[in-house]
Amino acid sequence: MTNPISRRRFLGTTAAAGAAALAPLNSAFAASGELSVWKFGGTPNEVEQWAGRNDAFSAGHPDINLNYSYFNGQIRRQKILAGFQTKRLADVIIAFGQDIPEFVGFDMVQPLDDIAADKIPGWKDRIVPEVMNSGMHEGKLYGLPTYVDMASFLAVNLDALEEAGFDRPPATWEELREYAKAMTKPDRPGLAFPATTAPVDINIFEGIAYANGGRIFDEETGKVTLNDAGVVDALQLYVDLIADGSTPAATSLTETFFRDTAQLFGQGRSAMWIGLSWLNTPWGVNDDVRWTGVPMPRPDTPSGSYAPVNAIMDPTAILMVSSRAKNPEAAVEYLDFWSQDEQLEIWGGQPEVARIPAGKAAWDNAELAEVWPNWVEAYNAGSLFEGAAPMPRFIGVSAIESALGTAIQEAVLGQKTPQQALDDATKAAQAQIDLIRG
Amino acid sequence: MTMQNDRLLAYFMILPVVAAVLAFVIGPTYNVGTLSLTKIVMGQERGFGTFSNFTALTSDPVFWLVMKNTAIWILGGTLMCVLVGLGVGTFLAIDSRMTTGLRALILLPWVLPDVVTAMAWKWMLHGQVGIIGQTLESTGLTEETISFLGDPKLVMWTLVVVLIWRKMPLVALILCAAIRSVPDDQIEAARMDGATAFERFRFVVIPNIAFSLTAVTVISMIWITAEFALPWIMTGGGPANASQIMATYIYQQSFEFFNWGVASAMSVINLVMLASIVGLYLYINRRSWASEGSK
Repeated sequence: MTNPISRRRFLGTTAAAGAAALAPLNSAFAASGELSVWKFGGTPNEVEQWAGRNDAFSAGHPDINLNYSYFNGQIRRQKILAGFQTKRLADVIIAFGQDIPEFVGFDMVQPLDDIAADKIPGWKDRIVPEVMNSGMHEGKLYGLPTYVDMASFLAVNLDALEEAGFDRPPATWEELREYAKAMTKPDRPGLAFPATTAPVDINIFEGIAYANGGRIFDEETGKVTLNDAGVVDALQLYVDLIADGSTPAATSLTETFFRDTAQLFGQGRSAMWIGLSWLNTPWGVNDDVRWTGVPMPRPDTPSGSYAPVNAIMDPTAILMVSSRAKNPEAAVEYLDFWSQDEQLEIWGGQPEVARIPAGKAAWDNAELAEVWPNWVEAYNAGSLFEGAAPMPRFIGVSAIESALGTAIQEAVLGQKTPQQALDDATKAAQAQIDLIRG
Repeated sequence: MTMQNDRLLAYFMILPVVAAVLAFVIGPTYNVGTLSLTKIVMGQERGFGTFSNFTALTSDPVFWLVMKNTAIWILGGTLMCVLVGLGVGTFLAIDSRMTTGLRALILLPWVLPDVVTAMAWKWMLHGQVGIIGQTLESTGLTEETISFLGDPKLVMWTLVVVLIWRKMPLVALILCAAIRSVPDDQIEAARMDGATAFERFRFVVIPNIAFSLTAVTVISMIWITAEFALPWIMTGGGPANASQIMATYIYQQSFEFFNWGVASAMSVINLVMLASIVGLYLYINRRSWASEGSK
């Protein structure tokens, strides 16, 4: 009995075998070609380091032609939206964790579980779990975080502190008012806080409000909660500090954003300032200014309707793959590169100590322990992220934060009481949310 | 036949310009118009033929503040720009060594990039470190430094002053050129008839430069309406929306809130408003030109 092989069968079998043999080869060669990357925001040092590591990526991946662009963080939504609308979005977008829900809602980014399933276990091995979770949304991983920023913290001028007779920084809101008053001089306010409508300034306030049990939006009910007691009382703290005469003029607070406030503190023009976890590290301080950073004082009795948090955090350099990525294989390769210890080490000590590192290995760095001993101690004790919540992130977050920014300014300027300002902001933001969400 | 060929050639020659206008002006305008009548939820279009974006705007309390601020910005800015420009242009029209040098120097604010101008003014006007506030305080003109951009009562007018500083030079130069082209014999005849300097300016110079004056007024109005970088960088619309104008609010609705329908509705209102003001202004001036001609 013969079993002749037909010409068609021979060709079919050969083609199938060839395809099977080439399949692994195909995937090995997949990570090649053009790869566009847009990065938004970052300290000057980080921007420089990032570009330097990109050179290392290009050297290690000669088949991938990396086209990297850096943009100011404030214009990221405009740039990304314009790119999305014109179908010219970069393959990899490095933006903020707060953006994820809206980017997902608009179908701008894709879940990494679908395209990088084989890489994710390695990422989880190398990245601190709490930080890794900041890239999750509705049970899926949408971004690879490289660090997080936390709110809110207090920078304290140690000379001013000692001069006023204190041996430790303030720990409660009451103490903060007392310290700020005592540290105030005619030519130097005791405390400054930024109150412009810049997103970071609003994040700083949110950190205080969330620690008081406030929230800006209730996801379950879809209701804006800006007039919750937790938020109102946090705003009252701002107003009280101004009324105490411990701050620069209210009109100056509303025109001075976080970076300028940091620089004024660095020049010894204020004794304390409220900021995010990096405080003055990106810009430094004058040689004659001795300073330290501590967590923002807490309310004696939280008054909000929700659980008070220790801090709120957000990964402000999180790598996402756009839904229109022309080269997802190369994009995943780029993300994997940035998940390696060599890259994440950037935030483990010199050259960049302004951020809370995502890489587990970065926490072993002696320089980090020297600069931020309290962070490292808390991390090793497992308490650094205890009680920390993500910064507000949901569809419509910008509309609510914008209304909150206006309310903060109205209260700070004395145009309205905190309650009135936040009642009005709640109403305005709810209308915006309803419109955006349909 | 030749005439027909010439006409065809003429149409052919203007075809690129017509195509460019259609592509870059009519196209986007049509797009904005349709978007303003479309309900958009999460970037998805959910039904055309609705006025919901316009009704959302009218119930937004910030919108009415934006309208008021925009009126100050456009009308105040244009009026001051043209009046100051006319004064400076008249001065520059005088023949002297100083004015020759000044004619070149005056363009400096106009050639600086918007971002540089905005940042420089922002720091000069800052309440704690600004040189303007400190100078006023040190000379005893004010008791303490003033936060020009942080005070809701001052911010809008401060922005208008910076705007005039920036836009006025070109207006002044255009009007200077127009004034210098007024025939000397007319001015001389008026002088011989006993006309005062003001009367010569009002009844001889102004009618002669009426067309230039109208042109720079319309152009200034359009420039000022389209100006975005200056107010956005200097104040971001704050404090408490006190300097929020159409351009900044449209940007905020589009790119911060992703609220494209409402942003488009505002753009349509902006366009209609500007077209109406310019149309009215041109109509009034055409009548005045006609009456000047009949005299």
